[in-house]
Amino acid sequence: MSDDHDGLRVVDPEALSEPVHHALDEVLTNRLQAGETPPTLRVWRRDTPAVPFGRFQSFDDEVEAEYAREHGIVPVRRVTGGGSMYVAPGDVVTYSLYLPASWVPDDVEASYADLDRSAIEALRGLGLDVRHEPLNDIEHADGKIGGSAQLRSGDAVLHHATMSYDLDTREMLRVLRIGAEKVSDKAVRSAEKRVAVMTDHLDASREDVIDAVVDAYVARFGGGRGELSEDEREAALELADAKFSTPEWNERL
Amino acid sequence: MHGESSVKVPGGKLVRAAVTYEAHVQSVEIRGDFFLEPPEALTALERAVEGLPRDASHEEFATAVGAVDATLVGFDADDVATAVREAME
Repeated sequence: MSDDHDGLRVVDPEALSEPVHHALDEVLTNRLQAGETPPTLRVWRRDTPAVPFGRFQSFDDEVEAEYAREHGIVPVRRVTGGGSMYVAPGDVVTYSLYLPASWVPDDVEASYADLDRSAIEALRGLGLDVRHEPLNDIEHADGKIGGSAQLRSGDAVLHHATMSYDLDTREMLRVLRIGAEKVSDKAVRSAEKRVAVMTDHLDASREDVIDAVVDAYVARFGGGRGELSEDEREAALELADAKFSTPEWNERL
Repeated sequence: MHGESSVKVPGGKLVRAAVTYEAHVQSVEIRGDFFLEPPEALTALERAVEGLPRDASHEEFATAVGAVDATLVGFDADDVATAVREAME
């Protein structure tokens, strides 16, 4: 941490729709690059289950669209690469960091490890034995507990991560197109071997986890609680309508 | 003709290629859970291999992909070349 900045603005708004979350990622990254917003840590709270999937993935390969539609699960293409996830409100911990490139290692692989480190230390502090697994996974001995993804836009770096506090593996297999066997017991057992959830290993509440993660990044970068500006909110709401809730974006590949 | 293939990259990323071709590659779609900067370079990667003879070597495909001005993260030009050539087998 250098001494010539005010640290992170930590924002933790009320539950927002999945498209608005992704719009905020784009708006805050672009505005940081333009010098219009401070470096920020944003906590995500969702109002529906969702499938955030990677920028370069095929919608049809990843999402059981009909099942998602019938069950109110909202698929949104991220601005970042990486894979697809099933996320339910209250089950995951998701946050975005918007940082100047000067705060982040130039080497991309090193920067994933470096920026995941604070969250991993926070989880370890709660008694959860996790480690960074290159390129972008957060691993427990029982399986993958989370993952991160980055986008570099000029002098701004977006680094966001999602970790499973809990997970309905059956529902995940129904809405993600992971394989032909779908919801067979064998597929469920196989998926349960690959993924780990905090509730199996941790007594802390999800709010405790969020607090610990936020505290770890504030301890590292400095800063404190702030708010999204009205202007940032309005820009994100507009962009959610114009882009992140449209088939032109979500189903473009 | 049309073919598809998936290549699992060491480290876990998946690169999928869908290729339409006759004697030459006509169109290519590259998809997967990789990272690419800038993101808009995906189209350039796809265009880079279009027009190559279907029996061009791995090195020719990899060189064409490697010539694109982009940073590939979690996969590389060799993986794209492998996926595209396997899609035409």
